[in-house]
Amino acid sequence: MTNKKLDLKRLMFSMASLADLGQEATSSKDLSAKMKAALYVITGMFSVPSAALFVYHPHRHELELLVAKGHRDKALQEILLPIVSEQIKRLRPNDPHTTRDLAGSTFFERNRNEFSKLQTRIFIPLFVRGEFVGAVALGRKLGGAPFRPAEKDVLRVIAHQMAITLHNARLFLALANKAAENKKLYTSMQRIYHDTIEAFAAAIDAKDEYTKDHSYRVASYAVAIARELGWKKRDLEGLYIAGLLHDIGKIIIDVKVINKGATLSAPEISEIRKHPQISYNILSKIKFPWRNIEQFVLHHHERLDGKGYPDSLKDTELSDGVKILALVDAFDAMTSDRPYRDKLPLVEAFQEVMRCQGTQFDEKITNTFFNLLSRELSGEVKEPQILPHLQNMDMGSFKALASGYTM
Amino acid sequence: MSNFSLSSRSAQNVAVIMPKGYINDMGAVSLEQASEQLLGKGMDTLIVNFSNVQYINTIGISIFTGMVERTLEHNSVLCFTNMKKAHRDVFEMMGLIRHVKVFADEEDAIKFVKRKGQHDE
Repeated sequence: MTNKKLDLKRLMFSMASLADLGQEATSSKDLSAKMKAALYVITGMFSVPSAALFVYHPHRHELELLVAKGHRDKALQEILLPIVSEQIKRLRPNDPHTTRDLAGSTFFERNRNEFSKLQTRIFIPLFVRGEFVGAVALGRKLGGAPFRPAEKDVLRVIAHQMAITLHNARLFLALANKAAENKKLYTSMQRIYHDTIEAFAAAIDAKDEYTKDHSYRVASYAVAIARELGWKKRDLEGLYIAGLLHDIGKIIIDVKVINKGATLSAPEISEIRKHPQISYNILSKIKFPWRNIEQFVLHHHERLDGKGYPDSLKDTELSDGVKILALVDAFDAMTSDRPYRDKLPLVEAFQEVMRCQGTQFDEKITNTFFNLLSRELSGEVKEPQILPHLQNMDMGSFKALASGYTM
Repeated sequence: MSNFSLSSRSAQNVAVIMPKGYINDMGAVSLEQASEQLLGKGMDTLIVNFSNVQYINTIGISIFTGMVERTLEHNSVLCFTNMKKAHRDVFEMMGLIRHVKVFADEEDAIKFVKRKGQHDE
């Protein structure tokens, strides 16, 4: 083959190799896999049996070995080359430096032992827009021939492309880490948010001993019913929060009035009926990440027949969320002790709910609740949501009631 | 997914490696690993049969460069057989041919190994 023909072939091969490198640089592989493939492309282009690629850590002022080829010594995998900014400034960006070029420099002399272990003949510092991002250390060529000037020209082009690949991959990695960090932060803030709301709910329920855990049970029952109705996860979260905070307005109502019961005077009734509006006023100041919380809270004492409060809304004006809260709020009140009365037996509470179907409570919602509790009782539901809150109640009678109903 | 597979067989101290498909990505690094294992088991001759190799790029050349280096370290012999002209030209241009024995086919390579064995005795 003539020299001219050989040069042409080499040029064609270099171009094909650059295309191979481009393909590896744009692949979806992770940083190490991508750079290892790129290292194979370079070592293949120049028949170099061993090479190493380093990534620069500006905070640690060192080059850390990222990938290597042809080195079987495990100790080499952990090589670190200290380098300070003054030494970086003396390097020619993306230019192949022979070990002779580097000899005498503080950087080379300090790392002479490592360069020797890596059998380095050519060291290429990788720069992107003046920023030092890493380096490639190439061993000797097979047969020991020196790198020709034309080969060094090709190495410059390759170095530039490798620097960009390394830079982009690191940027992407930094972004991915940031995104993961943000997600973690968001989860943590969400947890704090939930904890704060639960603390609020506990404060509401702690107003007197009789309403202890009422908000928590209302929230749990409401979510259990909504889940049965196929609500989405995010809407379930919102309903849970509405359940926890539905009575927040009671915080400013006299506890004596709250616990007085049936013998309330007209002004006292008027006073206690203010609590949904107060709850609404408090909660509407908060920008919740969930929809309709204030509306659920405002209308949880409305009835289908329009005899509820504060707005006397009727069936079609009430959302499922409001209907669910209205039912479970009343149900929990019936199945809890109050200072002015004992709790109702479960059967009687359900009979009362059924009696009020169509006037106070929605049929679809009450049936869903009844069926869910029946299934929880029969053991069909793996993780019961209602049953655990109804301990010390007569379940036998309820089972008999459930078997007599067809819905 | 890599379009590369590998098989090998060995008798006495001679191993025949049959790469198949495209030697153009990191999936083919198994070729380098296989040769290293065979050399580690004491094979003094590796014969690579190229008849089923479709394409070799720079990553492939790098892999063969590694194989050449290892066989030299082990004082073993690396033989290439059934090479297409295009493959041979690339190996020649890259200077790898100087370090391997090239034969038309496996049979010729085996004959050479036997002759060499007799000569060594």
